[in-house]
Amino acid sequence: MILVVAHSRAGRRDLRNVCRSHEDCVVRQLGRAALFSATEFGAFQALRLREKHGLDVQLGVVEPFEPADAPSHLREAARRYEDRDEPSTPYRQFASGRDLPDPDEMCGADL
Amino acid sequence: MKVRVGAATHEGVAVDLRGRRVSGAAVAASVRGERCLPVVACASPTAVYEYAGRVHPSMGLRTRTALAAAARSRDEETPHDADIAAYREELANLDPSPPELVEATEAVSDAEVADLRETVAAHRGRVTARRAVGEDAADARADLRDAATALSERETRRAAARETRELRREAARAYRDRLERRREVADALANARRAARATLVDRFTGEFAAALAAVPGPTPDDPFDASSVTAALAVLRLAETPAPVVLEVDRFPSPAAASEALDAPVVRC
Repeated sequence: MILVVAHSRAGRRDLRNVCRSHEDCVVRQLGRAALFSATEFGAFQALRLREKHGLDVQLGVVEPFEPADAPSHLREAARRYEDRDEPSTPYRQFASGRDLPDPDEMCGADL
Repeated sequence: MKVRVGAATHEGVAVDLRGRRVSGAAVAASVRGERCLPVVACASPTAVYEYAGRVHPSMGLRTRTALAAAARSRDEETPHDADIAAYREELANLDPSPPELVEATEAVSDAEVADLRETVAAHRGRVTARRAVGEDAADARADLRDAATALSERETRRAAARETRELRREAARAYRDRLERRREVADALANARRAARATLVDRFTGEFAAALAAVPGPTPDDPFDASSVTAALAVLRLAETPAPVVLEVDRFPSPAAASEALDAPVVRC
């Protein structure tokens, strides 16, 4: 899917207009961002907005992210953290002393 | 102050231009330096003139804003002023214009490079095979050289394309971060200004009520319910008013009386 983010008021307005008049290529609208279908028409609409608003319109490609796409130690960490007894424990504290990845390490590691 | 209308020059703290067919709007614009005719030689106006510099029957007035400007004309300060100055400076330093991006280069696909790698490997195999059986490998070597050159050229282009892409992305991201920061700072600045205005209004409400009582016109219970003209006169009375005020209302017996009551040079139009 194509991600379109509007960073200016005019860009937002035109993004809204595109979403309203071309529902068929809009997968989801989220405030000042939208997901367009990965079709030539979706790309065309995204390029139109980019052409008109320059860098005030940001484009990206979005792929679905499934749990299976992540390494198992991350899935395990998420599962165990969400299963914690004390809801107010921050993850950093929860991870220390357990066999779980450190948040700083995760931040520094590419997926 | 000196006002020149046509060939006549009027001088003094109270100038009466009634019957001279000069519009109050024109005189007020000259005082603010937005027009050169009629010629008005006077001290420069303070911020309060934007709101109350010309008093006429159909005027509107944002009383609180005008009162805060009047307080500012007297060099009043608030605890928010340091923040306001800091936000203004930061805002001025945040360039809102989009950057010039380096030209995007055509992407070289991984498949293309992989194909060329395979071709190079095949040619290399041919060279080795021909050498092994003692045959002339000159042609095969030439093919290998060509393919290797093509591969290295593609790889260089691919690396360059990646780098350009990265540069473009970084510039775009920095620009958007800057825009976001500008919005935050502009919000913070607006809040600080509102807070400063509220502080000044609070501080001067008493003095404003007293000024309302002193200028001609009805005095309501709540000073902020006063009509625009009355409120403007009261604001002028308590403001520092070095430049001429343009009056187009009949509240005072004479321009001189108005000048006295407002403690300001007055042009009656």
